[in-house]
Amino acid sequence: MSPITYSLFAYGLTAVISYVVIAIIVAINAFMSRSHKKGTGGRKEG
Amino acid sequence: MELLTTLFPGIGTMLAQEPAIAIARIVLIVAGFILAYMGFTRKLEPLIMVPMGLGMICVNAGVLFLSDGSIGTLLLDPLVSDPTELMNILQVNCFQPIYNFMFSNGLIACLVFMGIGAQSEISFLLAKPWTSITIALFAELGTFVTLAVGMGFGLEPGQAAAVATIGGADGPMVLFTSLIQAPELFVPISIIAYLYLSLTYGGYPYLIRLLVPKKYRGIDVEVYPPEVPQKTKFIFCVVVCGVLCLLLPMAAPLILSFFIGVAVKEAEILPFQELLEKGILYFSTFFLGLTLGILCEASTLLDTAVIKILILGILALAISGVGGLVGGWVMYLIKKKNFNPVIGIAGVSCVPTTAKLAQHAAQDENPFAIILPVAMGANICGVITSAIAAGVFVTTIGMVG
Repeated sequence: MSPITYSLFAYGLTAVISYVVIAIIVAINAFMSRSHKKGTGGRKEG
Repeated sequence: MELLTTLFPGIGTMLAQEPAIAIARIVLIVAGFILAYMGFTRKLEPLIMVPMGLGMICVNAGVLFLSDGSIGTLLLDPLVSDPTELMNILQVNCFQPIYNFMFSNGLIACLVFMGIGAQSEISFLLAKPWTSITIALFAELGTFVTLAVGMGFGLEPGQAAAVATIGGADGPMVLFTSLIQAPELFVPISIIAYLYLSLTYGGYPYLIRLLVPKKYRGIDVEVYPPEVPQKTKFIFCVVVCGVLCLLLPMAAPLILSFFIGVAVKEAEILPFQELLEKGILYFSTFFLGLTLGILCEASTLLDTAVIKILILGILALAISGVGGLVGGWVMYLIKKKNFNPVIGIAGVSCVPTTAKLAQHAAQDENPFAIILPVAMGANICGVITSAIAAGVFVTTIGMVG
């Protein structure tokens, strides 16, 4: 691989892994929020 | 004259050495004084510069004729590799144990990273996660451009990768990557990296003024970090630590160090949190600065590669700053002008310096502008992307043909 091609590849790979990490945190946050709402009873009566 | 050299070997060795080395020693003694003084006046980061400056002065002044007739110091010798010789010298040179057992194996970088993890508040990340990570990725531009330029300058791929990580603006990352990828250059790379990182505080405000006109600098972005339960943050850091170690095992020591700090903080293990935030972080920062200074021997820095590293280092940080601000502008356009482009500089992961710079720049134009929460999110993402970039380099650099 040439230096420029490798730089582009490494940048792309860094970007992909970084977005995966953020997707994990957003997913965990969403899941935990939903579990918390179910646990405390999300629906209001009345 | 002989009496002089015997009584005062520090001066006598200058007369015995080559003129270039003698002059370099004097220059470095003066440079050490300047760095220590600038640390004292807070123009440069005092935590690093004061011990580094004094170390630099002493290693270049305290030179003597050793028992075997060679010229050296009683501080440390980074070139000793023979195990028997090393065991002998560990009992003579006072800072040799610090160098061999903490510095040359990357432990000191990992300890600093543990402290940084223990101080990081990842709920800022959740204020605008996708925006923060995008800005952080734009701010990594300097790393990848410098990588290609470095190889064009004639550096080996590993050496270019080590120098390029200066663009990530993360000291421990630079240390760790250069120890693995370019151990023969890690001393000048680390010294130059820490010097430049101290200078970002002075240089980046001018970059902000150059690339972001006055009327855009004061845009307020009212966002407050969501209240994320500690359980969520703890699970996140444990899961992400595992995932990143699976994907980038070569960077596992750094990944573990950062996330163990975060995990200790989120688990509210207060004795450990205090240990990492105060004891370990300041202990390792102190000895990092001191050891770097002691490694600034004239003969080490007279390597011609140092000039390339000086140029590439400033290029990496400049392009990263520009990249981050471009990312800020991209977000400004995507969010239909409801974003402050100055936040882009916070993607350069000098935590929390660049986030504070962004806030000051905004407040200078609009005293009511509060952009720090979003800037901190970008800052934390910058640390994560720098670690990932370092891991990608150490894992894949062999692909360069």
